[in-house]
Amino acid sequence: MEALDARTWLADHGDYLFRVARRQLHSDELAEDAVQETLLAALSAQARYAGDASPRTWLTGILKHKIVDLIRRNVREVEIPRDEDGKEAVDSLFRQDGHWAEPLRPWGNPQAEAEMSQLRRVLDDCADRLKPVMAQVFSLREVAGMETEEICKELNITPTNCWVLLHRARLFMRACLELNGFSKAGAA
Amino acid sequence: MKWMATCREATELASRAMDERLPLSSRMALRLHLAICRNCAQFSAQLQEMRRLFREETAADDDAAGLAPEARQRIETELQKKLGS
Repeated sequence: MEALDARTWLADHGDYLFRVARRQLHSDELAEDAVQETLLAALSAQARYAGDASPRTWLTGILKHKIVDLIRRNVREVEIPRDEDGKEAVDSLFRQDGHWAEPLRPWGNPQAEAEMSQLRRVLDDCADRLKPVMAQVFSLREVAGMETEEICKELNITPTNCWVLLHRARLFMRACLELNGFSKAGAA
Repeated sequence: MKWMATCREATELASRAMDERLPLSSRMALRLHLAICRNCAQFSAQLQEMRRLFREETAADDDAAGLAPEARQRIETELQKKLGS
């Protein structure tokens, strides 16, 4: 069993925890709060550390709960978008008859490390440009891998709202990636 | 549902299929549409690719910005307070 030394947590895992949190919370401030709350909670829970996971994995597990907590608190202050919100953006993607307005371009297949890290930045930038609630629901689903049912329950939103948010976020993300050169034509 | 889904409807189904098992009739409508529509087949594949990329990159270390020095200092102070108490 690896011993826990709270004094090295921040130095060893602070940046990692921050990146994981930043990617799901889409805000530096909230991500910093998540790291702080995680380390403070870990300090209180040290005795329960069983040693069957690495300290980083253990801390990341605590972080996941803190992220959901923070989103839940945050969402309460934001009106869940009604039908108007984002509908125009969706409308612009399709013609009146329900066909795509523009053909979709195939994506490139980045292999080189430089291409991958550029792609990561584009992914993060696009996700940051979603409306906050949409970004957070999207990230809980696509980044954290939570089940939709769980997300609806945690955030106290109806399954229909949850699903509409996810679908609009996916349409936006796909279009954003294409606009930012993540397609064969643009990436070449 | 009509015998043939529009692209707009098909994208809704493709998206929903990422989250739950669709009822048989929707599954059939989606499959039929994807078989003849290159754009929607592309869309469906890209949704899966996007998920793969997001889940993969969060697991690994990357070059995204880390904690700002002021935030690190603030957290350090909070931890010290708690450690000392």
